[in-house]
Amino acid sequence: MTISKDQLGALIFLVLSIAYGYNATLIPLLPGDEFEPINAQSLPIALATLGGIFSFLLLVGSTLSSKRSDDKLVLHGYDFALVGKLLALIVGFALALEWVGFLLATVLFLIGGYWLLGERRPKTLLIASLPFAVGIWFVLAQLLDIYLAPGRLFSALFGG
Amino acid sequence: MLDGIMTGLTTAVMPFNLLMVVVGCFAGTFIGMLPGLGPISAVALMIPITYGLDPSSGIILMAGVYYGAVFGGSTSSILINAPGCASTVVTAFDGYPLAQQKQAGKALALAAYSSFTGGTIGAIVLLFAAPALASVSLSFQSSDYFALMLLGLTAVAAFSGKGQVLKAMIMTIFGLMIATVGTDVMSGAPRFTFGSLDLIDGVSFLLLAMATFALAEVVMTVLKGQHKEEEPEMDMASLGSMKLSKDEVKEIAPTVARSSVFGFIIGVLPGAGATIASFLAYGLERNLASAKEKLKFGKGALRGLAAPESANNAASTGSFVPLLTLGIPGSGTTAIMLGALIAYGIQPGPRLFIDNPDVFWSVIISMYFGNLVLLILNLPLIPYISRLLVIPRPILIPLILFFSITGVYLVSFNTFDIHMMVIITVLAILLKLLNFPMAPMLLGFILGGIMENNLSRALTLSDGSFAFLWERPLTLAIVVITLLVLLVPLISPLISRAIGKRKTSYPGPEAAVTEGEG
Repeated sequence: MTISKDQLGALIFLVLSIAYGYNATLIPLLPGDEFEPINAQSLPIALATLGGIFSFLLLVGSTLSSKRSDDKLVLHGYDFALVGKLLALIVGFALALEWVGFLLATVLFLIGGYWLLGERRPKTLLIASLPFAVGIWFVLAQLLDIYLAPGRLFSALFGG
Repeated sequence: MLDGIMTGLTTAVMPFNLLMVVVGCFAGTFIGMLPGLGPISAVALMIPITYGLDPSSGIILMAGVYYGAVFGGSTSSILINAPGCASTVVTAFDGYPLAQQKQAGKALALAAYSSFTGGTIGAIVLLFAAPALASVSLSFQSSDYFALMLLGLTAVAAFSGKGQVLKAMIMTIFGLMIATVGTDVMSGAPRFTFGSLDLIDGVSFLLLAMATFALAEVVMTVLKGQHKEEEPEMDMASLGSMKLSKDEVKEIAPTVARSSVFGFIIGVLPGAGATIASFLAYGLERNLASAKEKLKFGKGALRGLAAPESANNAASTGSFVPLLTLGIPGSGTTAIMLGALIAYGIQPGPRLFIDNPDVFWSVIISMYFGNLVLLILNLPLIPYISRLLVIPRPILIPLILFFSITGVYLVSFNTFDIHMMVIITVLAILLKLLNFPMAPMLLGFILGGIMENNLSRALTLSDGSFAFLWERPLTLAIVVITLLVLLVPLISPLISRAIGKRKTSYPGPEAAVTEGEG
């Protein structure tokens, strides 16, 4: 039996609703809150119930009307490897922001991004990243007077 | 009201605010032209910039970006048959054939004139409708608000098209669930933070909007391999004349007038935005045309181009009515603006035009300027702006990614936010692959907090009894409308079966709305 997109989505949300509902019961309450008309747990529990009902309906509905076999999730034809690398690059950008500061992190991120998407000419890589990063840094740090922390690496090497 | 208009006028003509209109229209036109990025993404990308401005300038900028993006979307529809956003998909039906007949200039001009008329008529109606509605809604109590939020949330789900209603409901609930993360306003109890300090403040609205509508949209184009596509060839020399003959003006004038009013009304309805308006206006115009003219539709009919263009701009204006008067967004784009207003500490709703008359009126007045800017500045510049489309995708995509990430980072200066964005983007891509619509989630997230506050106030006042839902006639009326709206998707197949014989060949708005644009 193949699983359709709707069934898969419904299952995901059913599990999510149950997990959410379970966690909702763990929300700490103030003493006496359980006698109030509404407390911190009320809405989450209601949402978990509604979410459970709706995803169950979708699950049942899509199972009963599973005449469309073209509805199953097709994953080939998508470039997941590239997207994975791009997202890893973003995480790397976040780390670089902390360690080497805004300017260098931006240049590295842009060059990495262009490279991943297929731009290989060194001249284009540099021209499209360096002046842009310096420009943005100038606008932020000099014109708008926003404090951009220097990377921890530099603070450690040269003192903050 | 005259006082208000004067306040609005003085705020709107301040040089800085005029600049914002111009900048907004340009930026919007450019972003709207890029295939895949629509008004929602354009407005989301602007939020970080508006944080540094005062509320009226910020919302004026975002409004400018909004209709700039709608206009830019139609430009790429006409020139390269690649609609920048869902609300201009219909524009391509008749606009692209015109461009192929070497009449691209005429098509662009017609689109601009129709958009201008649609937007202006919309702005005039808004001028009268908004204050009237706002004064009525001043008597609203928390029970009415709660009912209104319910209406807004269900309407978005109900209008989301065939087979999508349940999914949209689930996404709305999901949005509401995300809204509960963080500290509970009533008791101060941490909810779903899992002991993490970074989650105590909840998920930031900016982060969620950027991750789902800017990052995820761009990453989707990479996922589909669209960045490798050859840049479309555009022959600017064959634009042709931009002039319309007198006969042509006469031919389309009634169409534009009809579609503008029609589009505005659709735009006011919560949940139905520019996309649905443009599809319905095209269908309406096609049904009204004589048998001979009907054949021309889809092959470059001027009326077929004018109708959706006037309607989508009028609807964009119309969707400001529920936003400004009730605090309920009519579309995904206005939902983002609502979030931005709340971030300013302004509570959109009936009290907006009493507490912040400058914001209320200057937005309305600036719409006239925005439409003028689009007509006078953008139209002659279109050949040059569209050249920006030739920037190779491998360069453009990292830049957009950079802007969306730093936009979030520069507000919090917390790299945890960037990691969070990546996680949300992965989730959003998964949900997009499963055909779940994104806009209802954002709407649920934004309305979630206000809804819980109103519910808890109403429940406390009525001593824990849900009778408040039917004790006041107004609340009861809204609840009844909500139930009716919920029934719409059940009834609509019956209606469409009844009129099934007159079935038209163009795709319904469902596909477009799935994308969550408008």
